[in-house]
Amino acid sequence: MEPMIQMTGVHKEFKVVNRREGVRGSILDLFSRDYQILHAVNNVTLNIMPGEMVGYLGPNGAGKSTTIKMMTGILEPTSGEILVNKRVPYKNRTRNAQDIGVVFGQRTQLWWALPVIESFKILKEIYRIPDLEYKDNLEYYDALVGAGSLYHKTVREMSLGQRTLCDILAAFLHNPGVVFMDEPTIGLDVSMKGKIRQLVGSLNERKGTTVILTTHDMGDVDALCKRIVIIDKGKMIYDNDIEHLQQYFGAYRTMKIQFCRKTEELENKVLEKQAKEVEKWLLEKFPLAKSTAVSVEDKWIQILLNEDEIRMMQAVNCIQDNRRIMDMNLQEITTESVIRKIYEGEAG
Amino acid sequence: MSAVHGILSRMKQDLALVRGSIMEGLVFRTSTFASIIGNLIYLVIIYFLWKAIYDSSPTDTVNGMTFYDAMVYLVLASAMFNFLNNFVVWDLGRGYQSGEIVEFLVKPIDYQRYLFWGTSGNSIVTFLITFLPTFFAVYFITHGSFSLGINLVFFAVSVVLAVAINFCMDFFVGTICFYTQSIWGVNIMKEVVISLLSGATIPLAFFPEQLRKIVDFLPFQAIYHTPLHLLTGEGLVISDYMKAIGVQLLWAFVMLFISKAFWKRSLKALTINGG
Amino acid sequence: MDQEKKTLGFYAHIYKMILLQDLKSKMSYRADFIISTIGMLFTNISGFVAFWILFQSFPDIKGWNYYEMLFLYGFSMLAMTPVQCFFDNNWNLSRALRTGDFIKYCFRPVNLFFYFISEVFDVKGLGQFAFGIGTVIYAWNKLALPLTFANIAWLIIGVLSASLFMIALMNFAAATGFWLIGATSVMIFMFKFKDYARYPVTIFNRAFQFVFTFLIPIGFMAYYPSLYLIRPEHLSVLTYLTPFFGVLFFYLSYRFWMRGAKQYTGTGS
Repeated sequence: MEPMIQMTGVHKEFKVVNRREGVRGSILDLFSRDYQILHAVNNVTLNIMPGEMVGYLGPNGAGKSTTIKMMTGILEPTSGEILVNKRVPYKNRTRNAQDIGVVFGQRTQLWWALPVIESFKILKEIYRIPDLEYKDNLEYYDALVGAGSLYHKTVREMSLGQRTLCDILAAFLHNPGVVFMDEPTIGLDVSMKGKIRQLVGSLNERKGTTVILTTHDMGDVDALCKRIVIIDKGKMIYDNDIEHLQQYFGAYRTMKIQFCRKTEELENKVLEKQAKEVEKWLLEKFPLAKSTAVSVEDKWIQILLNEDEIRMMQAVNCIQDNRRIMDMNLQEITTESVIRKIYEGEAG
Repeated sequence: MSAVHGILSRMKQDLALVRGSIMEGLVFRTSTFASIIGNLIYLVIIYFLWKAIYDSSPTDTVNGMTFYDAMVYLVLASAMFNFLNNFVVWDLGRGYQSGEIVEFLVKPIDYQRYLFWGTSGNSIVTFLITFLPTFFAVYFITHGSFSLGINLVFFAVSVVLAVAINFCMDFFVGTICFYTQSIWGVNIMKEVVISLLSGATIPLAFFPEQLRKIVDFLPFQAIYHTPLHLLTGEGLVISDYMKAIGVQLLWAFVMLFISKAFWKRSLKALTINGG
Repeated sequence: MDQEKKTLGFYAHIYKMILLQDLKSKMSYRADFIISTIGMLFTNISGFVAFWILFQSFPDIKGWNYYEMLFLYGFSMLAMTPVQCFFDNNWNLSRALRTGDFIKYCFRPVNLFFYFISEVFDVKGLGQFAFGIGTVIYAWNKLALPLTFANIAWLIIGVLSASLFMIALMNFAAATGFWLIGATSVMIFMFKFKDYARYPVTIFNRAFQFVFTFLIPIGFMAYYPSLYLIRPEHLSVLTYLTPFFGVLFFYLSYRFWMRGAKQYTGTGS
């Protein structure tokens, strides 16, 4: 099978202005500017097969969006070769656009003032979607997420979650070969995140669409992607299975708890004493869970657990047996912390 | 003691805003260059248009103004437009629509003040790069068609008052956008009314008498006509200056009061209805 | 999916769809619609008032009488209608660039300029159109111009060609935003020229006649095309060249806009 996306030795350089500081600097900038070459993408080689769902990760400014722009044909690489669906994207942007879909987390591509269904109708014409295919998709969408109830709302009246949902549906409407998603779950609450992940998973499965997903939330990747590519400072530093990556973040979970309502007013000393107690309770009950660590952070008691040794609920129950927990939350694992661990792993 | 401290810290706050907006103004170097070239072309058009007008007139002096007088007036008016023109109405309208203004209410600074000092930096930059050069150019090209004496002092005071009146008017009109959802429509009405009735496009001296009488009772003439009249008017005595400044001062207070009262009222409606 | 080239018909169809939908949604924001229309009326009325005030003190300007000038004024209003109605989204370009929203226009399989411009249809321009028609008819009567088929045909062709100049000018101005921050000031400056299109180019000296004919072609926005109707005995070859130059100028502005877009998406933001 031919790869859907093929990148070979791709480079992209930018010239950037060095801005000077302060009022004096601004005045100097008026007259002369000095430039610097930035290697946004540095020798990236990558093959993605049809139907694959790839998590494309990296800190801000790592070169993620530059790569995506090159794949979508709005940016030409300085050197190297890119083929999307056997076509060079930048050579014919509009032709390439016919075969791709794009989703931005907080930036809707639908017509702001129109009911969603009207946007869909316009898209149907723009992409020349056959009637049958279009009808089929709408029915499927309705069955999948009950989209029918949203169709007659205008985008501006929608919540962020609904808007994202509709944007994703729109991106898949013309049955593209590849869909690019940039932070699709950013700013959403936990339940909406789950819904979006489920939706993307089902669409990928049913249509066999290749999906490239960039995100800062490890949860997205964990739920959706088998394969992870990580880029940092323009270079690819990781391209492998998610299982392989799990050693860096997998079993560890962080949870935070509070025993009283107004912990802000408590002194750190008191909190630290509480933390010590929690640690004692946990170690007494689960002496084999050696990775367990309890600390105080921002007036919260923070507990780091290795789920291979102790299940989250066991720990919660154990603490609850000793003292009533007033408030708790689970920490999201960010891609940044994973990348940090990869570097640490390399060093160690 | 604490009062002095309060004023000092307020001034520091204001200065930081001014400094920030000056820097912003400089970063937009292209827009500064664009507006300088734009002004020059605009002046060329104005020059030829009025020259054609005067050439077609049987007398050199029309409505008490010679071609020279009219040109000096219009050139300086267009230079003033650059630093009086701001985006306050848009800022307010968009800020309301996006909910930024509601978020802003938790900050320990009055929004009107914030906006005023925030835009003033830009005004200062445009004043320095466009108005002052134009002013001197006009002075030297016309071999001193206006005097540089006590009138300069009154002109300076009058310009500051004009800026204040203009800002309050913009602020008032911007607040109207809370109710109308239409920024463009409200803003264009304001611009049109001010540019015509303030004497920015046609000197008030050319207005037919009836119209002139009405315009004299409106606040708009305090923005362009008054400062320019104080600068270029001939044979003015101290009492004329004082009277003009007094009228401006009155308008400044009235506009400040109206805009503040309206703002407070609108804010109340906003916080009750939850925006 | 078919490989056939996208035709003019395809674009016309999509434009019609977007326009109708947009109109429908605009009607639901009635307050904004009404106020904007009133605002537009204000600009037009104040333009007339200024015009009238000037002619209170001067009977004619360089041999052009009140009604001839009024005709030019009306003609220029008609010529400014298309830019107002169909190309208004240029005003949102610099904001879309600043916030990064512009990127979303880049992923559709249609022409980028078309897709961006098609997003907004501005109804307010229609008020100006009505004003322009009224003014032209009034001046036409007062000047006792013959009502022939050729004259009417030329009025339509002339207005359409003249409108291309203003559209092109605004395209150029908006497209500077791809390189510069603060392109809005460039647009404001360019937009001002619409107010000067209503004067005969002959009021300028030779050098500036050249500038306002070939560089900033405001002479084509009313003066040259109107000559055919109001001063047929003083026709200029430029009168006949108006449609040709209009198309050319528009095309150049389009290329400039597209170049800017290409350049911008490459800046890595």
